[in-house]
Amino acid sequence: MAKKQLFSLSVNGEEVDVASPSDATLLETLREDLRVLSPKRGCNQGVCGACTVLVDGVPVRSCLTLTALCEGHDIGTVDGMGEDPILATLQKHMVEKGGVQCGFCTGGMLMSARNLLAETPRPSRDTVKSALSGNICRCTGYRTIVDAVCGAAEELAQ
Amino acid sequence: MTLDTSLLAGTAVGKSVPKTDSAEKVLGRAEYIADMYLPGMLHGAILASPHAHAKIKGYDLTEALAAPGVVAIVTGDDVGEGRMGAFIKDEHAIAKGKVLYVGEPVAAVAARTEAEARRACQLIRVDYEELPAVLSPEAGLEDDAPILHEKLADYIKVFDAGSTGNLCSRTELVEGDVEAAWAECDVIVEGEFTTQPQAHVSIEPCGALATVDPAGRVTLWSANQSVFRVQANVCESLGLPMSQLRSLTPRVGAGFGNKMEPHIQPITVALAMKAKRPVKLILSREEDFEMVRARHPFRVKMKTGAKADGTIVARDCEVLVDCGAFADDSPGVMGYALLMCGGPYRIPNMRAAGQLVYTNKLRFGAFRGFGNPQVLFAGEQQIDELAEKLGMDPFEIRRKNLVASGDTWFVGPQVASCGMDRCLDAVEEAATKPRADGTPRNLGLSITAHISGLLGTGAIVRMLEDGTISLNTGATDIGQGSDTVLAQICAEELKLPFEQVAVASPDTDGSPYNWGTTASRVTYTTGRAVKGAARKVVDQAMAHAAEMLECPVEELELREGGRIGRVGSNSDVTFAQISGRAHWAIGGPIVGSDTLVFDQPTHDPKRAVALGLPFPRIGVFSFAATAVDVDIDQVSGQVSVHEAWTAADVGRAINPQLCEVQLYGGFVQGLGFAVVEEMVWDGARLANPSLMDYKVPTSRDVPDALHAIIVEDPDPTGPFGAKGVGEIGLNPVPGAVANAVAAATGFRHRHLPLTGERVLNGMIRAGTA
Amino acid sequence: MTQILQPETLDEALAVLAAEDEAMPMSGGATLVAMKNARLVEPTHLVSLDRIAGLRGIATLPDGRIRIGAMTRHFETASSALLTGSLSVLRQAAGKIANRVVRNMGTMGGSVANADPAADYLPALACCDAVLTIARAGGERELSILDYVEDWYETALEEGEVITAFTLPAPEESPSAYRKIARVTGDFATASCAMALTADGQGIRVAIGACGPGPLRDPEAEQALIGKLDDPDAVTALAERLVAMADPIDDVRGTADYRLALIPRLVRQGLDDLKKDLR
Ligand SMILES: Cc1cc2nc3c(=O)[nH]c(=O)nc-3n(C[C@H](O)[C@H](O)[C@H](O)COP(=O)(O)OP(=O)(O)OC[C@H]3O[C@@H](n4cnc5c(N)ncnc54)[C@H](O)[C@@H]3O)c2cc1C
Ligand code: FES
Ligand code: FES
Repeated sequence: MAKKQLFSLSVNGEEVDVASPSDATLLETLREDLRVLSPKRGCNQGVCGACTVLVDGVPVRSCLTLTALCEGHDIGTVDGMGEDPILATLQKHMVEKGGVQCGFCTGGMLMSARNLLAETPRPSRDTVKSALSGNICRCTGYRTIVDAVCGAAEELAQ
Repeated sequence: MTLDTSLLAGTAVGKSVPKTDSAEKVLGRAEYIADMYLPGMLHGAILASPHAHAKIKGYDLTEALAAPGVVAIVTGDDVGEGRMGAFIKDEHAIAKGKVLYVGEPVAAVAARTEAEARRACQLIRVDYEELPAVLSPEAGLEDDAPILHEKLADYIKVFDAGSTGNLCSRTELVEGDVEAAWAECDVIVEGEFTTQPQAHVSIEPCGALATVDPAGRVTLWSANQSVFRVQANVCESLGLPMSQLRSLTPRVGAGFGNKMEPHIQPITVALAMKAKRPVKLILSREEDFEMVRARHPFRVKMKTGAKADGTIVARDCEVLVDCGAFADDSPGVMGYALLMCGGPYRIPNMRAAGQLVYTNKLRFGAFRGFGNPQVLFAGEQQIDELAEKLGMDPFEIRRKNLVASGDTWFVGPQVASCGMDRCLDAVEEAATKPRADGTPRNLGLSITAHISGLLGTGAIVRMLEDGTISLNTGATDIGQGSDTVLAQICAEELKLPFEQVAVASPDTDGSPYNWGTTASRVTYTTGRAVKGAARKVVDQAMAHAAEMLECPVEELELREGGRIGRVGSNSDVTFAQISGRAHWAIGGPIVGSDTLVFDQPTHDPKRAVALGLPFPRIGVFSFAATAVDVDIDQVSGQVSVHEAWTAADVGRAINPQLCEVQLYGGFVQGLGFAVVEEMVWDGARLANPSLMDYKVPTSRDVPDALHAIIVEDPDPTGPFGAKGVGEIGLNPVPGAVANAVAAATGFRHRHLPLTGERVLNGMIRAGTA
Repeated sequence: MTQILQPETLDEALAVLAAEDEAMPMSGGATLVAMKNARLVEPTHLVSLDRIAGLRGIATLPDGRIRIGAMTRHFETASSALLTGSLSVLRQAAGKIANRVVRNMGTMGGSVANADPAADYLPALACCDAVLTIARAGGERELSILDYVEDWYETALEEGEVITAFTLPAPEESPSAYRKIARVTGDFATASCAMALTADGQGIRVAIGACGPGPLRDPEAEQALIGKLDDPDAVTALAERLVAMADPIDDVRGTADYRLALIPRLVRQGLDDLKKDLR
């Protein structure tokens, strides 16, 4: 078996020590070694966005991020951020507006959307579409996802 | 447009209730195949063929077996002679004796980690003898073409395919007298159209997980559109009795046809059987492009004639279809395309003929639209060409020729309900208003019909002790929301709150048969079975209630919220009381089940001649009209959609929001097909099997003004009148875009996709650049 | 298995790169890790530049020139308030790379080092007359961006060398623009055009991307156009020179012919747009 190394990570606010191949990507470590399964492998090349997670609040591709570089940084994934008010509002609107079909893109999409709303309280629809353009959704045609993000933005701005 | 749901009666049907799986999905808790882990589980990886066509002379596994972590290796030597296939059984579980395309699985490794399995694959040595390859259907039909399937004549076929040489199947449908009819025409248009291969790009790549119990029985989870087709295919290809394999499904990260027939399930099962441990195999995105399936490229020769008043008199359509290496769903796709190639029009004289040819490429198969988008791209442009020649408006010429309810479709199916005219009106009203900024519209129109139906389905409705309901249908919800819609139908029939119906996950051990989530069929066919089964539950509950309330059944009524009472009296009994009685005292637990097979014949021999028709029975008809308003970038020629409208007759929108999302999603997938997506082969090798090189639309490439308009013309056989909506939103898009581009640039394109390059070249030729 | 190193000083990093044959520097990893995932590279060591102080950020130098650290992320460049006027072309180019998430990761140094012919920075930097600072163990050198790309994916960068910074002339008030033609948002360019009006508004600097191994720029032809921006024939002459320099390929994004057809169209449209900006 490939040589493993012990990494100290902070995942969704919890400090964990995890043994992972020394050159593992964050996506591999999260999924295979920590069983944090909400980041998905849709391409392993940085294109699809299904693996998007937050590192210190900033969305990055976990498939292009080396675990070794994440020590000392906070990693956030959609399944472990229940307390986050922006995310919770987005989630509610995604459900209501029909922004979820197969759901495979949803976690990554929400990471990008959360970053947008944290930076830009009242984005235009165009700004929303730009912010989400790195997350491919093959099911919804994006329309209901943009609706959901705009709906959440409006609710949060109130 | 959102339907005002408050106007609709009933507890559940017609309401946009959120999908039952949405909450777990937004919370990141939904479990897909890659998220499953079993104790002792190994990881699989596949070695792909580097050759398009070669004999396999032998394998040397020594090095690979000695590699770290390797537990088992499967090659063609490990599988028997069994072959699978929906229409023609031509495909082994894994390449055996021969490889037929670059990327075909040749061997598979099970090891402790995916990385180890992938590394070991590279250590497998395969001795090949290369053969000349067939890389186009035209080449495949040549006299001296190399033959892909030497034993084609011996393969099991489920219809009269007429297979010979590399000809996988041929179909010919004739109604009226086309040759004589040309003389009646005042205008005739004629042309050749080609469409490109499109990749499904379900965001979840295909995967499977298999385990074998000590008695040898297999349990298999996989990304699929039908646990029953998975069961049948694995058992056929591996020679297992069907009772020895249980097929289940986790959540599925979408399937647009690519997960209907088998992908790597048989290989995963073979690995698990050999390793005697659970094995999970998940494809990389590149493998998903190279190994699964794609939309068929079509060559369409079409000729259409009309009278001076716009009445269409005749159409002739000939298609040449690239099958790829295995038949898969291809005969069905071609047959269906021919059945639909007249479009939703009354055309008295029609001939549609096609040849499907094996080539040394990835198999082509089912993809949302099932051949309809390809022929519509030709057909709907020819309608516009006729209109141009006659100086008619595109809406007007279509309106003049529309099918209507009560009509008979080409070769024989009955059109029992038809909201085509209303769809066209709705789109015309919306799309012909000027743009908000006053710039001129570049409109393109296309209209379509699609079926929902086909084959067998069932439902079991069980009343639990407390009067709530468990619904089990065996239909895989691939994300489109069928669990929700079927629960709505069930709740409506039982007059129960929607929340009181739980939907069981498909399981070949416990679910009634369901052919699959395909052919826009689940709401229509499975919905019928659900309604029927729920009705039986009501009948049983009524019988109990009659005894409990001591009155004849005829005097009872079903009331909202799961109660049965005597008409005109307040007293009633609840489902909980009834079910308690049934469980513990009298009669036994209440279970209603219903099964059906769509049984209306496709072909009426008195009307038409049909040779090689793959669907003896087909389905009911949905309709849609799409208009797009495009902009053309003057530098690059690139097409962008400014605004788009699709009106679809869905019979009855059980869940309007889910219907709308189907139309949005179908539109955007169709837009990708129309303007950008294309699988490109460099010789025998796919040149762009990655998302870096194969591009699909992003959120910024789609119009914000995307409108879905729901029209309801209830079908007499549909559950609450419902018909399918899954595919119809994609069908018209390429034709509509091409018509809009012709309007905007003065150049008509007959080859898809309409890339910036093609459109710019067209503009240069038309002098509009 | 690749060893991941995270040195805290540039000297340490350069020492490893000099000592190990198959060590590679890593910036954002957006390209490198993708290649590693696809097994296109299997370096013995990856030397992350992430912890080295002073490599990230955009600053104005005392003489007014702008210095961009090699580790500056695309999103920082895309939102920099210092890249105005004649340098706004670089800001715009950064904003058209991939998508927001990749822009959070990728760096200018990594992009330029990778020298993808279709990448966005190369033409924008060429239009800005950028100068690269390149360090190696025991030394440093400067190089004009126009001398940087030598052939397809071949650059003047030598084994063991690392790009540390980009220096741009002080911004002028004249407008500049980056136009990218791509199949969909976030794709690499099929063709692109970076253009700036000179300070006096009489001339232009223009660089074409994705139509050859490196960005196409012809300073001589630009000279010839000075004062003739309103003369369509003169503009065509410049465009034709760029077409003649081009060496495009056929690929999945478009054919060579398409790219050749795009060059004059991009130049004409770009100039029209800039002139509009001026008014
Ligand atoms: C989905 C996706 C879409 C993209 N789209 C675009 C696009 O539209 N336009 C575009 O321009 N780019 C695009 N890119 C590329 C992106 O901009 C990359 O970030 C960039 O090319 C590489 O930058 P990096 O910092 O990640 O470099 P790395 O991946 O870390 O390194 C890339 C290469 O450069 C070497 N290297 C890195 N830093 C240095 C240095 N300082 N000195 C010397 N050598 C070095 C590495 O050894 C490696 O060979 C895309 C990337 C992805 C994943
Ligand atoms: S898996 Fe990381 S972007 Fe697709
Ligand atoms: S919901 Fe399926 S990919 Fe977005």
